[in-house]
Amino acid sequence: MHMQPTSSMKEEFLQKWQMGLQIYRPLIDNTSVSERRKAIKLSADVAMASLRRGTTCWSRALIQKTATEDNFLVRQMLSGIKAETLINKKLPKVMCHRKIVRRSKKILRRRKSRSAIEEVAAKARKLVKKKTQGLRNVVPGGEFMSNDVLLIQETLDYIVSLQTQVNVMRSIVDAAEAGSERTAYYLGKLKFAIEDG
Amino acid sequence: MDLTGEFEARSYGGGATREATRLESLHLGDEFRQLALPPENAGGFTALLELPPTQAVNLLRFTDSPSSSSQAAAVTGISPPPLHSYGTLTFPSDSVLMDRAARFSTEHHQNGNVSGTSSLPSNSSVKTEPAETDSSQAVNNRSGKRKDSDKKAKSWTKKNKSSEENENLPYVHVRARRGQATDSHSLAERARREKINARMKLLQELVPGCDKIQGTALVLDEIINHVQSLQRQVEMLSMRLASVNPRIDFNLDTILASENGSLMDGSFNGTAMQVVWPHQVTETEQSYHHRQLQQPQQWPFDGLNQRAWGKEEDQDHGQ
Repeated sequence: MHMQPTSSMKEEFLQKWQMGLQIYRPLIDNTSVSERRKAIKLSADVAMASLRRGTTCWSRALIQKTATEDNFLVRQMLSGIKAETLINKKLPKVMCHRKIVRRSKKILRRRKSRSAIEEVAAKARKLVKKKTQGLRNVVPGGEFMSNDVLLIQETLDYIVSLQTQVNVMRSIVDAAEAGSERTAYYLGKLKFAIEDG
Repeated sequence: MDLTGEFEARSYGGGATREATRLESLHLGDEFRQLALPPENAGGFTALLELPPTQAVNLLRFTDSPSSSSQAAAVTGISPPPLHSYGTLTFPSDSVLMDRAARFSTEHHQNGNVSGTSSLPSNSSVKTEPAETDSSQAVNNRSGKRKDSDKKAKSWTKKNKSSEENENLPYVHVRARRGQATDSHSLAERARREKINARMKLLQELVPGCDKIQGTALVLDEIINHVQSLQRQVEMLSMRLASVNPRIDFNLDTILASENGSLMDGSFNGTAMQVVWPHQVTETEQSYHHRQLQQPQQWPFDGLNQRAWGKEEDQDHGQ
């Protein structure tokens, strides 16, 4: 592994995530589970993206995506200037319409010698192209990365950040679940003690 | 009587200042730009590319001596180019390569040894491959000059250079391999391919279980699956957190305080949790920048937050 989530990254993520959750705090008692889940996920996503401070394509795309769901949250979580530039900027138009490009390439393609090796190679290349498109669909902002090198670089960074996010969230969830069990236990004991007089 | 979810709030211990220093270390780009690689790096691979083949081979002979830079300069008759621009990157999120660059420079700082083979850390699998080829080349060249090893040196150094330097230079020095076309288009294409392959290798190391797989398409498949599984895990975790007693998930700072130590290791130690009844919470609270929002006696409807939220709700309803 060339790079693991560092503890400083985890700390910063946690701090930012918390800050985001605080914004939802006044609404706690009035929300359903699904609304809370959405709040948790959105704040976690913005926290993860803000770790990169706008240097990577995926982080900008993720912040913009989250802003369409909860503009206020994003504004609060990012410092003023950054929020304005990131949110107000319109998403860049897709660089090329893949369907159109593909169709015109087909027309222009001349008949080359159909040796067996070439056909296999061509099929392999097609498969790889399909897979890279699949990768673009998964990585946020991937549709705007026509450059393959950029795509792979972004994927690298995105995976590391996702790992950080998952690690921290898992620790918190484990703590919370264990805590609630313990609380339930103590509550039960207390109730029992009270009822006993 | 409601006693759920109040946990002991231990201090986050001057967390603000610690955060500041840690955050500084995150600005990797700035730090590395200030790192000036020592001149002993002149014997290194990046400089190798500037030299014609015979001189490069002579240079390889001198890799073990500490004063290689002066000898090398004498042999080649040129002064080693300033390498600090090569070793550091401007692409800020290219932390992978910055990591390597940092390790490269720190190793040379420590050992003052040009060959870099012994000084490379063993846990960095990315670097062991070039290290091995380099040591094998050094041995080859000492035993006798051979064109093959020359080409091996060139191809590895070309790869290294293309992956680390292409972002800086306006144009790329690429040496053609035996039996390959040399027009600009295929050269550019090849350089691009090299870049992609280098990064794919890093990805393969990152994603578990990818090193065994042969073939780009399958590796890409694995990568996509890994990313999707991570995204699904995030969804699951947020669902779990939301299902837990609501007081707990939004009262993170209290859970956090008891979590603080175990979080660093990335593993959770359940026994660290303590339950504290509400009347004790005020006594144990300490400086933490969220403290002013927390009112443990009454359920925390902080005026500030409520007002801000109210504003947002109006905007939302207006849309």
